[in-house]
Amino acid sequence: MRTLSNLIPIVALAAGLLAPACHTRPLTAAPPTAMVYETDIRPLLVARCGRCHAGGKTKGSLDLGSLGGIRRGSESGAVVIPGKPEKSLLVEVLAEGSMPPDGKNRPTKAEVNRITAWVRDGARTRGGDFNAKAALTQEDVLPILFTRCVVCHGGREKKGGLDLRTRRAMLKGGKSGPAIVPGKPDASLLVKKIHDRDMPPPKLLVDFGIRPVEAGEFETIRGWIAAGAPEVKVVVDVAGSTPDRLVSQQDRDFWAFRTPKKPPVPRVAKPDLAARISNPIDAFLLKALEAKSLGYSPKADRLTLVRRVAYDLTGLPPTWTQVEMFLSDKQPGAYARMVDRFLASRHYGERWGRYWLDLAGYADSEGKRSADPIRPHSWRYRDYVIRAFNNDKPYDRFLLEQIAGDELADVASAETITPELMDNLVATGFLRQAPDGTGSDIVNTVVERFEVVIDEIDVLGSSVLGLTVKCAQCHNHKYDPIPQRDYYRLVAVFQGAYDVYDWLKPSFVPGQTKSKAVGRVLPYLTAVEQQRHAASRAVVEKQIADTKQELADLKTSLEKQHAEKRLAGLPEVLREDLRRMLATPAKKRDAVQKYLAGKFEKRLSITVAALKKQNPRFKKLTKTTNDRVKQLQAEMPVEPRIRALWDRGDPSPTWLFRRGQYNKPGHRVGPGVPSVLTDGKTPLAIKPPWPGAHSTGRRLAMARWLVDPDHPLTARVMVNRIWFHHFGRGLVETLSNFGNTGSRPSHPQLLDWLARTLIERGWSIKRMHRLMMNSAAYRQVSAIRPQAETIDPENRLLWRMPLKRMDAEVVRDSILAVAGRLHDTPFGPPDPVDVRPDGLVTSREASDGWRRSVYIRHRRKHMPTILETFDLPQMIPNCVERPDSTVASQALHLFNDGMIRKLSDAFAERVTREAGREPYKQVERAYQLALNRMPSDTEREVGLAALEELTRLWQQKAADTPAKSGKQKSPSTPSERALATYCHTLLNSAGFLFID
Amino acid sequence: MTNPLARRDFFRSAADGLYGTALAYLFGREFYGGSGLLAADAPAPPRLYDLSPKQPHFQPRAKAIIQLFMQGGPSQVDLFDPKPTLERHHGQSVFKDLAADVSSPEAAGGLMRSPWKFARHGQSGTWVSELLPHTARHVDRIAVVRSMYNTHPNHEPALYKIQSGKLLPGLPSFGSWVAYGLGTENQNLPAYVVLDDPQSRLPVNEIQNWQSGYLPPVYQGTRMRPTGSPILNLTPEKSRQRPEPVVAASRRLLARLDRIHKTQRPGQLRLDARISSYELAARMQMTASDALDIGQETQGTQKNYGIGDKVTDNYARRCLMARRLVERGVRLVQIYTRGQMWDNHSNIGSSLVGACQHTDQPVAALLDDLAERGLLDDVLVVWGGEFGRLPIAQIRPGSDPKKAGRDHGPAGFSIWMAGAGIRGGTVYGTTDEIGYRAVEKRVSVADWHATMLHALGMHHQDLYFDRHGFRERLTGTDKVRVVEELFT
Repeated sequence: MRTLSNLIPIVALAAGLLAPACHTRPLTAAPPTAMVYETDIRPLLVARCGRCHAGGKTKGSLDLGSLGGIRRGSESGAVVIPGKPEKSLLVEVLAEGSMPPDGKNRPTKAEVNRITAWVRDGARTRGGDFNAKAALTQEDVLPILFTRCVVCHGGREKKGGLDLRTRRAMLKGGKSGPAIVPGKPDASLLVKKIHDRDMPPPKLLVDFGIRPVEAGEFETIRGWIAAGAPEVKVVVDVAGSTPDRLVSQQDRDFWAFRTPKKPPVPRVAKPDLAARISNPIDAFLLKALEAKSLGYSPKADRLTLVRRVAYDLTGLPPTWTQVEMFLSDKQPGAYARMVDRFLASRHYGERWGRYWLDLAGYADSEGKRSADPIRPHSWRYRDYVIRAFNNDKPYDRFLLEQIAGDELADVASAETITPELMDNLVATGFLRQAPDGTGSDIVNTVVERFEVVIDEIDVLGSSVLGLTVKCAQCHNHKYDPIPQRDYYRLVAVFQGAYDVYDWLKPSFVPGQTKSKAVGRVLPYLTAVEQQRHAASRAVVEKQIADTKQELADLKTSLEKQHAEKRLAGLPEVLREDLRRMLATPAKKRDAVQKYLAGKFEKRLSITVAALKKQNPRFKKLTKTTNDRVKQLQAEMPVEPRIRALWDRGDPSPTWLFRRGQYNKPGHRVGPGVPSVLTDGKTPLAIKPPWPGAHSTGRRLAMARWLVDPDHPLTARVMVNRIWFHHFGRGLVETLSNFGNTGSRPSHPQLLDWLARTLIERGWSIKRMHRLMMNSAAYRQVSAIRPQAETIDPENRLLWRMPLKRMDAEVVRDSILAVAGRLHDTPFGPPDPVDVRPDGLVTSREASDGWRRSVYIRHRRKHMPTILETFDLPQMIPNCVERPDSTVASQALHLFNDGMIRKLSDAFAERVTREAGREPYKQVERAYQLALNRMPSDTEREVGLAALEELTRLWQQKAADTPAKSGKQKSPSTPSERALATYCHTLLNSAGFLFID
Repeated sequence: MTNPLARRDFFRSAADGLYGTALAYLFGREFYGGSGLLAADAPAPPRLYDLSPKQPHFQPRAKAIIQLFMQGGPSQVDLFDPKPTLERHHGQSVFKDLAADVSSPEAAGGLMRSPWKFARHGQSGTWVSELLPHTARHVDRIAVVRSMYNTHPNHEPALYKIQSGKLLPGLPSFGSWVAYGLGTENQNLPAYVVLDDPQSRLPVNEIQNWQSGYLPPVYQGTRMRPTGSPILNLTPEKSRQRPEPVVAASRRLLARLDRIHKTQRPGQLRLDARISSYELAARMQMTASDALDIGQETQGTQKNYGIGDKVTDNYARRCLMARRLVERGVRLVQIYTRGQMWDNHSNIGSSLVGACQHTDQPVAALLDDLAERGLLDDVLVVWGGEFGRLPIAQIRPGSDPKKAGRDHGPAGFSIWMAGAGIRGGTVYGTTDEIGYRAVEKRVSVADWHATMLHALGMHHQDLYFDRHGFRERLTGTDKVRVVEELFT
């Protein structure tokens, strides 16, 4: 951001009114010393701080052992400010004793005084001035030019024939001559234009997302040219190009950074425990339980199991038919077959796809701006994910497509776009989900663009890698061995597609974007998709045409009437000819008709305005027609596009941003992955994905590295997530942080066994479900055993199943399903939501109910209230684990919300429809539908008594208030209303909301 | 220092015989799945998040904050920061120097003097524009900060920053941090209440202004509305209301069913919590409606605020509600203004007058009222927007100069604070000679947040949230300074 510190002098010059800026500081009384860094200070610093900050150790990026190092400062910025000990971090931390951190080897008071005096007196060096910077090179200047100028004077645009990306091109210059004259800054156009504030043009700043050149930057450019514009050879920092001092072998030996090995399945000694083993998972778990003298809880009954499995796999209650099918299957393997039935359900992908969409941070809007512009094409990615889960797409392939689908095949030159080719591109939507405000011109600067890159790296790190890499954006990771340069290597991986200096806008925002071109979408859809689009357009077009027809017909007939009236006043002999003339389109008229038209047409015709005045019905119909047409046009499906991420082949250089700031560029880095997960010496094997490809291949190389069977994290992170969703707690509890600050696995061997098994079984996720759900652990009851709870209150050892509350989507979807109002069409554009003035947000009802929550429009600022109340998270940029709360607003929503009451009415109607009017049967049916079991005797009694009481109370009400004539509200009779109230209460009960 | 008895008295209605350990447990008790035992070397995150009252880090100055949020960007050079230089150099162009902060360059005019007169007020002699005669009465209670600055010239990022510390959406708002850090004294009301204008659209960034970001949702701001259901779904819609006996029977039935369910599942704490949440929901219905019922106030009080006067009515009502809410133990009340009324891009000559008239009297009455009741010792009142305005005119070339307004000015602007130990009569910091940029004693948004936390007895460094092993803070990692000079 511009500091504008230079404003004051300029205003002062112009107006001659301001006092000169006050920079003079009263000199301290102490006489200046003659100390210099090399002989007086360096030895002291090496002795006291050298453990971490000298001799190749550069903790916090600080090297106090060299002049260059102390000048550069640390990741917190400058540590020495000559003449200002009070502002120098080095003096501050030594004086306050916070360094050295453990108090060991602390400098004496005299030593601190000596350093303070040295700084106070200007921090002299043998060469004189402390700030006599290393000579400026093109590497100091190019980041500035890329940030401020290259958008118009570079690769894609060369305004005025000027390219500022290399020294050579600057010398060549453009139409007005060379941009720089080495050694002569004041004769250099570049300097002149910036100095006069002609460039970048002040009035175009907003349109191009540019900020003016800052004062310091200007000095750098000037200084470099003055020095003769020297150019040095640049070594791009990739693995192996420089020593890897910040990551040690010890770091690489951390459990999560070593390749998992498949451990032997342990033997459980105690026979009663061993008898519970269904598969190897149980052996691992029981072994750990055995050590604590614990064991599994009893096996859950079939009703509990079928409800648990149905909700776990589909997020919907089992239908009574599904329940009965399982209950009546007396053959061995009935349970496994039941699991398989739900795994095969189309609803499985909607449930498990949703988990993945949380990780991707899926949204149907861009966020960042309060306009929150809609992403019209995002849903294709949502559908891709749901289908991928339903089809059990192997996880390695799933990742390859999502991270580098654009580099898997050459779609642009394919003759026909197959569904597979299209899927490759749709899949990259994974990396297009982060909030992105750059569609608005005013916030399309390098800062905001970089935020998108940061967020996508965060998404990748937290979802797939299980590491909190984002901390390394501003400084070396404080807890994990991830140096800042590793972070910028990841930035470089993305730079082929996300180039902060050469940006594509995600959306067009009305009133906030000058150019309507939306850059970051692709047109490669299959013929089927194109046809589907054309067909859905045709439907709306037909509706529009039909709507207009009625008005057109009325208009014609009114015009005819008018003409007849006027004709009546004309000679009989003319009338027939005139009628014929009017019926003939203007262009087809012969000479006579043209003559007649010239003479009479005006008289015989009537304007629309006059018609409106004359005929109220016409006026009204015109308005309703126009409104309806407008509404239909708004519903017109937009031109189909793919919201993809693709490599554009010629990325700008990647500079490390010191402290994460774009205007503090460090050295140049190349693509790479966190060193600690590699040998630290071998760079990523990057090559263009196919011969002649206009694509760097960087993301493909990273994706292949990720899905390598020996990758230490990929499989572990995924099996841990699957485990978490089944068992309510990860084997590693910090699902997205397997690093030092994350938690250690409760069952390390089991985790590795599962990870290897996932890979062995072809990365099949459904096989992992089968494995976990067929374990005896999963089939335990959730009841608490007080004794076990004293030993393991957190249930880390899994001596029981947890009691789970329904997720946000599951609450809504299940109520719809129970009420028989779940509209079952999957996929396609999301359903809109309505926002009430009091803030209630609801999804819009379709003709026959509502669709599942995953198909509601996920506009960041308007998520349905019921989902938010039940902990639907904000995607910032994604959600790795949902909070799970029990708060009063949930009670208020379920008890008072209008839609829940309406659905309770529907639930009651369904009960009557399916069970008749016999209260006994109604109670039974209500339990089957909502709680997926039969009522107990007590519950049956309570239910019957309640129905009776409620009927009486509603009768009372009906007697008190005579029924209004007219609208018959449903339910209408006291007993119907009583049943609706009863059903509403059931939906509010704990038995519905919680899953045993 | 206030005497502790008065403090207790202040929150007397909060207790209401309802809160005790049991109730504290009920409201908003959060069960975080998946937390719990961590590795020995990692800090264990708390397992429960709730709104029970928590101890501040040190003796607080304020028990509650009323934030008069003037979104849109009130013009400092027309209200609190007079600049004679503008008078002398009226019309002079400085556009190239301000270009980075001008969102409509084609309409950038020259320096523009303030059309209004300033005068010194009170014993302190604080300068206030003639637009705010009522506020001017209170200058000896108020500390004006003239050197605030924000870092973005557009509403949305600037609002995100002033509400939650960064230019991005999705982070916890200041109020959420307060609710998280201190909980609330009255479990029957939300800790953090938002009073937006019921007759206007939501402010820019809408509900994101009071969201809880990565903090648990229990800490987000709750919109309370003067008509209809005060809190969303607190009462059912009219058309779906049931006779009271039916509601009672339904509640009894629910209690019965849940008891049966719970009895079969001994020891499952969250089932208890859920049952309690239904009981609490019922109690909230009464408390919330009562808190907003300004009909209980005297005619005199209502008149002082400007209730009944078309110009002030709507804002005045919410100021009075704010007093009633802090009285009942609400920790933070945020009042938003009508639409973007401070966003005076054009016709500042009339639009700014309207904004001032709408708010000036109610704000002054609120200060009077709080002071009379002895509440001002415990309540911090804060006035200000997300930025100020530029000293240059905003006007299309060739238009009538009377239509001129001012564009957004983030580099320097004024806010004020009063009550809770604020040193009245203070004018803190300065902007440059044209009122464009804060130059002396600059106060960043983070400094300001830290200062308000300080008033509440919290240190910004010690207020953090563990997120995947990292301590996230409102004030982030930048150097932050509490402006202690503002306090006595």
